[in-house]
Amino acid sequence: MQADKEVGTPVLEVNSLVKYFDVLERGIFRKRKIGDVHAIDNVSFHIFTGETLGLVGESGCGKTTTGKVILCLETPTSGTIRFEGKDVVDTFENGNQNDSKQLRRSMQMVFQNPYNSLDPRMTIYDIISEPFVIHRNIPKNRWTDRVYELLRMVNLEEYHAERYPHEFSGGQRQRIAIARALAVDPKFVILDEPVSSLDVSIRAQILNLLIDLQRKEHLCYLYISHDLSSVRQISQRVAVMYLGEIVESAAANELFDRPLHPYTQALISAVPVPDVDHKGSRIILPGEVPSPINPPQACRFHPRCPHATDVCKQVAPKFEDRLVKGHFVACHHADKFV
Amino acid sequence: MDEKILEISNLRTYFFTEAGVVKALDGMSLEVNRGQAVGLVGESGSGKSVTAQSVLRIVPRPGRIVEGSVKFEGEELLTKKEDEMRKLRGRKMAIVFQDPTTSLNPLYTVEKQLVDILMLHRDLTKEDASKQALHLLERVGIQDPERRLKAYPHELSGGMKQRIAIARALSCDPMLLFADEPTTNLDVTIQAQVLELLKQLQKELSMTMVMITHDMGIIADMTERVTVLYAGKVMEVADTSTLFKSPKHPYTEALLKAVPSVKQTRALEVIPGNIPNLISPPTGCVFHPRCRYAKDICVKTEPTLENVDEKHLVACHFWRELSLEGKGR
Amino acid sequence: MSQLREAVKLSERQSRRAASQWAVAWRRFRRNKSGVIGCAIVVFFVLVALIGPFLVAYPARSYQSLYEGDAGDPPSFKHPFGVEISGIDVFSETVDAAKNDLYVGLAATLITTVIGVALGALAGYFKGAVSDVLLGVTQMFFVIPTLLLILLFARVFSVLVFKGLGLTLIVLILSFFGWSSIAFIVRGETLRLKDMEFVQAARSLGARSFRLLFRHIVPNILSPVIVIATLDIAGFILTEVVVSFLGFGDPNTSTWGLLLNEGFPYVRTTWWVALFPGLAVVICVLGFNLLGDGLSDALNPRLRE
Repeated sequence: MQADKEVGTPVLEVNSLVKYFDVLERGIFRKRKIGDVHAIDNVSFHIFTGETLGLVGESGCGKTTTGKVILCLETPTSGTIRFEGKDVVDTFENGNQNDSKQLRRSMQMVFQNPYNSLDPRMTIYDIISEPFVIHRNIPKNRWTDRVYELLRMVNLEEYHAERYPHEFSGGQRQRIAIARALAVDPKFVILDEPVSSLDVSIRAQILNLLIDLQRKEHLCYLYISHDLSSVRQISQRVAVMYLGEIVESAAANELFDRPLHPYTQALISAVPVPDVDHKGSRIILPGEVPSPINPPQACRFHPRCPHATDVCKQVAPKFEDRLVKGHFVACHHADKFV
Repeated sequence: MDEKILEISNLRTYFFTEAGVVKALDGMSLEVNRGQAVGLVGESGSGKSVTAQSVLRIVPRPGRIVEGSVKFEGEELLTKKEDEMRKLRGRKMAIVFQDPTTSLNPLYTVEKQLVDILMLHRDLTKEDASKQALHLLERVGIQDPERRLKAYPHELSGGMKQRIAIARALSCDPMLLFADEPTTNLDVTIQAQVLELLKQLQKELSMTMVMITHDMGIIADMTERVTVLYAGKVMEVADTSTLFKSPKHPYTEALLKAVPSVKQTRALEVIPGNIPNLISPPTGCVFHPRCRYAKDICVKTEPTLENVDEKHLVACHFWRELSLEGKGR
Repeated sequence: MSQLREAVKLSERQSRRAASQWAVAWRRFRRNKSGVIGCAIVVFFVLVALIGPFLVAYPARSYQSLYEGDAGDPPSFKHPFGVEISGIDVFSETVDAAKNDLYVGLAATLITTVIGVALGALAGYFKGAVSDVLLGVTQMFFVIPTLLLILLFARVFSVLVFKGLGLTLIVLILSFFGWSSIAFIVRGETLRLKDMEFVQAARSLGARSFRLLFRHIVPNILSPVIVIATLDIAGFILTEVVVSFLGFGDPNTSTWGLLLNEGFPYVRTTWWVALFPGLAVVICVLGFNLLGDGLSDALNPRLRE
């Protein structure tokens, strides 16, 4: 639901973000660039305080790359990222260490694979207190208290701090990863498929925990996932990505109940619904997801779109909310679906 | 047609590891009628994949079937010699595995992999087998099949590889197909394609299909009858619509409540606790540590599978007393 | 550390088995029979090297037996491994050589491991010219026929032998040419670990390259490095044996290779001169190989979950 928030400055502002990866050919002494992978092409969105933006798409659409670029784990090719008004890329590249560190503390990430995101050689205590070592923002005699506080926040016990990651289940490891992300009191957390590798009965635990923490700690989230059902649970706004572009973006309920882009429609209808009385007919898209190395011209979805016409092959549709206020879509024929 | 094509009773498959004996399947029973689409639903550690492996007797070491009976078309499989089992695998029973990247051999072309099986089980010449392989690719909806035949698995996308894995499984017209999480590794839109394909093929070939999955949505869509597994034991067996509308086991109820739906936003109910350790599983009812209705007897005594009615079985001490919520109107 | 944490730690340690990587590995190692045997052999040779020279009857390189009239005698109670024609007691020599061969093996391994880990980690972690150059250099060293160059360098620098640095010369030459295989492995592992999510997580927390490399990446590559290092010790001992056997070593320091060199021409008559040092080499190298195998099993990164 669209919470009534102050329509002031958004916490995170991403504008015209572009990220291309080079495709290299190995020569004898040097590598030659022979092409580009258009991972992200002109992506823009805002996130306000206390809000969750869900970013959905299938593999290769660029959603994980978007998360990494926002934190500057990969440098963007072009575009701006502003966090509370500050230019993120500039701060990390040219800014002084203090500003960099402060930005790092404000923007955190929980990774997808709980089996790989914790250093197997460190105890949980070391893992959660590592941010304190790096940032030195808490006096040493307070570390233990803070670690225990964080463990309790994610429903784990104090004695868990002395154990190693391999002694825990996937769900527990994700909690530890969340505790670590919260250790520095961030304002914004990117959640990259946090529940995809977890069992169904554990997913609900983690999702509810995330929603709870968001409320208590006033966080805003970027929730990246291919699992539409969990995205609907946790997000207030949702953006759909296809081949590096955002094709539709709206309030969560609005998007799921009235999708205007053919890709979104297909995506939603493809999800199996756990309800025996559900009689939707699935929209089956032909073909495979094309490669981001040579994306189709104009509307990138036209080769697979059941409603594509000539104009779709020639003119790239504009991303606008002409039809329904607040509901942005990039499709020439969106008016058919209103 | 109520002919039973597969009858598993009291199957126990244990893995003898360094750390202890993992009771992957501990007294599992299942009945499948000819031509049915049956679901086997459970989370990790439930034993659903091990069930398929046990039927085909390809349980990897250190696993071993220690007790039980598996009857296929009336014949006991567990006493058969390896030679006899080999004649059945691929020919009468087949599995489609979860990850097509590892279930297809990266060294051989698609053609070779299909032709090999065709020539093994049927007396075909190489040319005839090649023709049949082409026909199979068309059957599973692969565009441009001549070119794909000559391709290597790594040149193909995930969805296409899975179609080929399905083609391979169906190549000798098996009567029983196990589909072990066939779409879990695939993108959502490709998943829809593959599920449609499986549905279609199952109807066309009147094949008996056992769909192994953790996804309740797939169960609702693809199956007529479903067995719920937890930690190697059967919790509930029923017709799919009955299971969804009036579940009798707390685990089933909890599972239905914990699954988010793309059709509506609602609060998710959490199942507390974790999947149990299969080396030392909980005493009594294996679900009791996480069950909101658990009482003393649940800790001490393991419930047996009882009949709610002719087609609905449940393993719970209190199924008569509890009124559980399903997803009905 | 706070009192609360001390108490929690204590109760944890009492109630559960230690679960650190090393504790798990140690438990696994103990169960591996060949590894334990290998360990026993290695320990045996280390003891022989340390204590043996003090217990043998004849000092190193001494021709005393010649004056005792025992030259060329076969194995007996007085000379358990027999005597060379020149009067050198084979048993004393073999025991004495143990410390020298082990020194060569251990020292060369230590140096090559340090160089290999450092260069390999740098090559794997950084992109661009630095990495390419390091990779190229590693490949170069890997490809050139090291044995020939070792022999050449041993000759060229043989002046050092006369300054009493014969063994050290061998160690230095072996180290100079022998670091590339470890560097390759370390580079490969570093590349793999660099993209692992726990490293990305540390980066997103604000950790800088130094911390990422030494707190996260290097500790996680120690397992394969330890195994390779153990096997390298055996390898370097063998190389030393070859170098000395061919006559390019130090004639003033007893090593098993030197003994083989002295015993080989007379193997038809005084066969004991070549046999016993040869056996010593075989058993010692076997010991290190078995130990390496056992460690490889025990340190296998796939911890059971």
